[in-house]
Amino acid sequence: MTGVSISVPAVRIRPRSARAAWRTFWHGGLLSYGMLFNWARPSIYIPTLIVGPTFQLLFFAALGSYATHRSAAYFAIGNAVQASAIAGVFGMTMAISNERWFGTLPAILATPANRLALFAGRFLPFLANGLMVSLYAFGVGIVFLGVRLELRTVGVAALALLATVFSCNAIGALQGAISLRLRDGLFGANLLVMAFLLFCGVNIPVAELPGWMQVISNLLPFTHGLQAVREAATGAGLAQVGGLILLEVAIGVGYAVLAFWLFSYLEHSSRRNATLEVR
Amino acid sequence: MSGLNRVRPLRLVWFVTWFNVRMLLTSEFFILTTFITPLIFATLAFLLFRSGGGTAGQTLLYVALGSGMMGVWSTTLFGCGGAIAWQRWEGTLELLVNAPSRYDFILAGQTLGTVVLGFYGIVATLAWGVVLFGMPIEASFPLMLPFSLLAAVISLGALGMLIATTFVLYRHANALGNMLEYPIWLIAGLLVPISALPFWVRPLSWLVVPTWGIEAIRGAAIGARPPFGPIAMCLLLAVVYYLLARLMLVVVLAKARRDATLTLQ
Repeated sequence: MTGVSISVPAVRIRPRSARAAWRTFWHGGLLSYGMLFNWARPSIYIPTLIVGPTFQLLFFAALGSYATHRSAAYFAIGNAVQASAIAGVFGMTMAISNERWFGTLPAILATPANRLALFAGRFLPFLANGLMVSLYAFGVGIVFLGVRLELRTVGVAALALLATVFSCNAIGALQGAISLRLRDGLFGANLLVMAFLLFCGVNIPVAELPGWMQVISNLLPFTHGLQAVREAATGAGLAQVGGLILLEVAIGVGYAVLAFWLFSYLEHSSRRNATLEVR
Repeated sequence: MSGLNRVRPLRLVWFVTWFNVRMLLTSEFFILTTFITPLIFATLAFLLFRSGGGTAGQTLLYVALGSGMMGVWSTTLFGCGGAIAWQRWEGTLELLVNAPSRYDFILAGQTLGTVVLGFYGIVATLAWGVVLFGMPIEASFPLMLPFSLLAAVISLGALGMLIATTFVLYRHANALGNMLEYPIWLIAGLLVPISALPFWVRPLSWLVVPTWGIEAIRGAAIGARPPFGPIAMCLLLAVVYYLLARLMLVVVLAKARRDATLTLQ
C-alpha cells in the first residue's frame, strides 16, 4: 500500500482569544438566526410576525375599548410592545433549543468556543427582529388606532422599548435552555407570551389586577418596560422613567444570567449522563 | 344501499373522530390550545370587563361562552389546518387515500374529532367562571342547548374540512393558523358584538360559521328567543362548506396524483 502524504497547514486556534470570542458572538449569532429560527422565511414570517400582530392589535383595541371605554390607543401601545415578545421569546427559544432538534448541539458543545460569546451572540439578531416587529406594530397603531407619541420623549420611549425587547429575549433564552430537556419547547414559549398578555399590563393596568397577580407581574420581564414606554409616549422624560428602564434591564440581566447558568449546567449534566442526543 | 352499507360510513367517521381525539390528547400543543388557552383568555376577558366597571351590558356567561368559543376556533384552525399535512409527514396519507373507504369520510372524522376536543374549551371556561368569578349558570332555553351545540359542532367540523383541504396548498399551514386566529375572534363577535364593529365587517361575519355557532349557543343560554335562525344558518353553512371541501379535496388529490406529489412535503 502506498501512502500519499498530505501536508496540512498548521492552524492556530486560540479559542480563548478575544478575536475568536468576537467571531463566535457575531457570526454565530447571525448564523443562529438564519439557520435555527424556523420563522426566518417570508412564508412564515409575514403571516406570523406581521399579519398576526396586526390583527392582535385590532382585536384588543376593539375588545378593550368596548369593555372598558378606554381609548383604543392604550391597547394598541400595549400590544405593539407585546408583539416584540412574540418575536423575542419564540426566536430565542428556537435559537437555543433547535440546536438539539437539528442535531447540531453535539458539534457546538464539542468545540472549545467561548460559551458566553456563543450564548450572548444569539441575542443580537433577535433584539433587532423584536424591535422591528414592535416598530411595525406601532406604525399600525399610529395609522389606524390613534396612537400618538410625544416627539420630545420619543427617544426615551425607544430606549424603554429596547430594554423591554432585551428582557423578553432573556426570558426566551431561559425558555430555550429549559427546552433542551423538554419534548416541546414551544409549549412554554406560548405560555410565556400569553402570560405577558394577562399579567404585564398589556391590556389591564397592573394596579387593577388581584394582589397575587401583581406579584407575578413584578417578577416577569416586560411589566416595567411597558410602563416606561407608556409614560414616555405621553411625555415623561428619562428622569421620570429612568428607574423603570433600569429595573427592566436588571430583570432582563437576571433572566439572562439564569439562562446562561442553566445552559452550562445542562451541558455538563448531559456530558456526564451521556444524554446529549437523548430526546 | 343495504342497511350495513349505510352504517359503515357512520362507523368510520365515529371511529376516526374518537381516534383523532385520543391522538390530539398526546400533543402538548393541543393540550395548551384546548385546555389552557381558553382559561387564560377567559380570565383576561373577565378582568377586562370588570376593569371597565361592569360588563358593558353583557353577562359573565356571555363572556365565558365567547372565550370558550375562541378556544374552539383555535383548536379547529390549528387541528384542521395541519390535518392533511400531518398525514403526509407521518407517511399515512398514501394509505388513507388509496384505502377502499372514502377519504372524505376519514377527513370528516378527523376534523370532527378536532372540533369535539375544542368544545371542551367551552366547558372549561364555564367551570372557570363559576369557580373564580362566581358566574351563575343559567339557560333561557335548556332544551335547545344540545341542538345548538350539535349544530355548532357540525358546522365547525365542515369548516374544518374546508380549512384542511385548502391549507394543504400552503406549505406552512401553522403560519396561516397564526394569521387567522385573531381576525375570526374579532369578526365572529365572540367577545365584541358584531353591532359594535364597522358596518362593512358584518357581511364577512355572516360568512364565518363561528358567528352563527356562538349565536346559537348564546341564544339557548341567555337569549330572549329560541335560536332557530342561527341553528338553521349553522346547518346551511355546514352543507356549503362540506360541498366546497369535497370539491377542493377532489381537485387537490387529482393534482397530487397527476404531479406525483401525494407524499412530497
